[in-house]
Amino acid sequence: MKTFLAQVAFDGKRLVLRNFSFIFLSLLMPAGFYLLYTKAMISGSAVAIKQFNISYMDQMIVFSILLEALFSIASILKRDRDKGFTTFLRLSPKGVVPYYVSITFWMLMMSLLSVIVLGGIAIGVNNVSLDAGQWLGFLGIILVGQLPILMIGIALSHIRREEMLSLASNLLTFPMAIISGLWWPISLLPKWLQTIGKETPTYFVNNLLNQVTSRATVDLSNLVGIAVWFVLGSLLVVVMTKHEQRKGVALGEA
Amino acid sequence: MTTIIQTEHLKFNYDKKQVLKDINLTVHSGEIIGLIGVNGAGKTTLLNILLGLLSGEGAVSVFDKKPGNPTSKARIGSMLQGDMIIPGITVGDMLKLAAEQTEHALDPDSLLADLNLTQLKTQRLGNLSGGQLRRVTFAVALIGQPDLLFLDEPTVGMDANARKAFWDQVEQLRQQGKTIVITSHYLEEIQQIADRLLILQNGRFTFDGTLQQLQKQHLGATITCETDLQPAIFSGLADVDQVHSMGDKLVIHSRNGDQTLKALVPMLDRLHQISLNRESLEDIFLQLTKQEVPQS
Repeated sequence: MKTFLAQVAFDGKRLVLRNFSFIFLSLLMPAGFYLLYTKAMISGSAVAIKQFNISYMDQMIVFSILLEALFSIASILKRDRDKGFTTFLRLSPKGVVPYYVSITFWMLMMSLLSVIVLGGIAIGVNNVSLDAGQWLGFLGIILVGQLPILMIGIALSHIRREEMLSLASNLLTFPMAIISGLWWPISLLPKWLQTIGKETPTYFVNNLLNQVTSRATVDLSNLVGIAVWFVLGSLLVVVMTKHEQRKGVALGEA
Repeated sequence: MTTIIQTEHLKFNYDKKQVLKDINLTVHSGEIIGLIGVNGAGKTTLLNILLGLLSGEGAVSVFDKKPGNPTSKARIGSMLQGDMIIPGITVGDMLKLAAEQTEHALDPDSLLADLNLTQLKTQRLGNLSGGQLRRVTFAVALIGQPDLLFLDEPTVGMDANARKAFWDQVEQLRQQGKTIVITSHYLEEIQQIADRLLILQNGRFTFDGTLQQLQKQHLGATITCETDLQPAIFSGLADVDQVHSMGDKLVIHSRNGDQTLKALVPMLDRLHQISLNRESLEDIFLQLTKQEVPQS
């Protein structure tokens, strides 16, 4: 337990407290978008605006998780392997289990932090109001819904070259955010793009959040979509790991 | 003497290439082993197998257990190639985490003081120079008070003072009876510290013994003297390869220093300030490996 707590403290410093890219990309950027779109670039009836303030909060939280997984987590895991940190832990008597548990813990905390920051802005600035049951459901969906996205982030971390990782993170994150309706309504997109967008993991998560925050009936097919993406993401992690081992990255890192 | 490391007929293939072919090695407690070879000879692969990071064919034991066993891990410290540059983390944070990985850890502050690194404690790893990072990596390797240390290219990036301080520290570890396996391309340093040399060529040990034993196999030497005789006279002497003048001195390169010295005896009254330098480890290594093409 002492080793785990030391690992948590160590990772908390580097992943959150002293990690400007997480604070900027995963918290400040979505928060800035949220304020921009709900305060400066909005028109319509009071009811429509109220609804938009809630649904856009959902969207920006999913966007924040997407950025966290595909940029922060992917690059941190890659760096830990490239710089021999995971090798160092593998060689220690306590092994890598405390490290992976701690990373998972901080992934969840980072998502929670996104909810707190964006939810706090939505409540404080736009008077968004959800009851306790809605917030709990909201958190539950975030915890489950982030899993397939994190799997994609973990798979990306196995890309060998730093510049390729950056390219892949950019090519996945922003198109996925757009076609799954995180930036603007999916209905504005061409039909064929909507068809693709409605199969993305971020769409399923965002859809579930919208259903909870608008008290609509929860469509369980979204959960099935999340589960399928989780399986696909896990398979991708296995394939990327095997590929990396075959290419001898494990040799190089040591 | 207790056996610390034992390998029998160890082989390792990477893709279709046989990196290690038939490695038979016994290391006893308290030995300092200098493992040398050209790039790609298989040194790091061998260390990785002994550490349990890779698996080879054949029998391997470290502290009588399979490599990677948690009990033996607690007795091993390693300083591998590359440094852990972890953004946002200070030297103090790193040592604190390393100390939590083992039961018998030294106090990080005392260790930093012993290694003269206290001034780096609050510095971020990303802000350190290459040499400073190697010294911090050494501190991390020592924090668990290991009985066996693997040092892979330990002094890369260190300045002359840091290198001296590092080797002094290794000498202290020798006094404490630690077993140490070192790989380095700085052969003059290996020559100074190692009790036993292992030369790895094309996946096999082509030499296993002391520097003196190696020098007996390779009798080459450089003889320097002052003389009024013409250099051409010396060219025809036994085993002389090359003769040239350097200032007032005459330098004779010989394939067999003892034989050439005997041949010089009749001229002794015309020779002054004679000195004979046996071939260094680096000279012998260069001869042994001149046919070998570095792999990387």
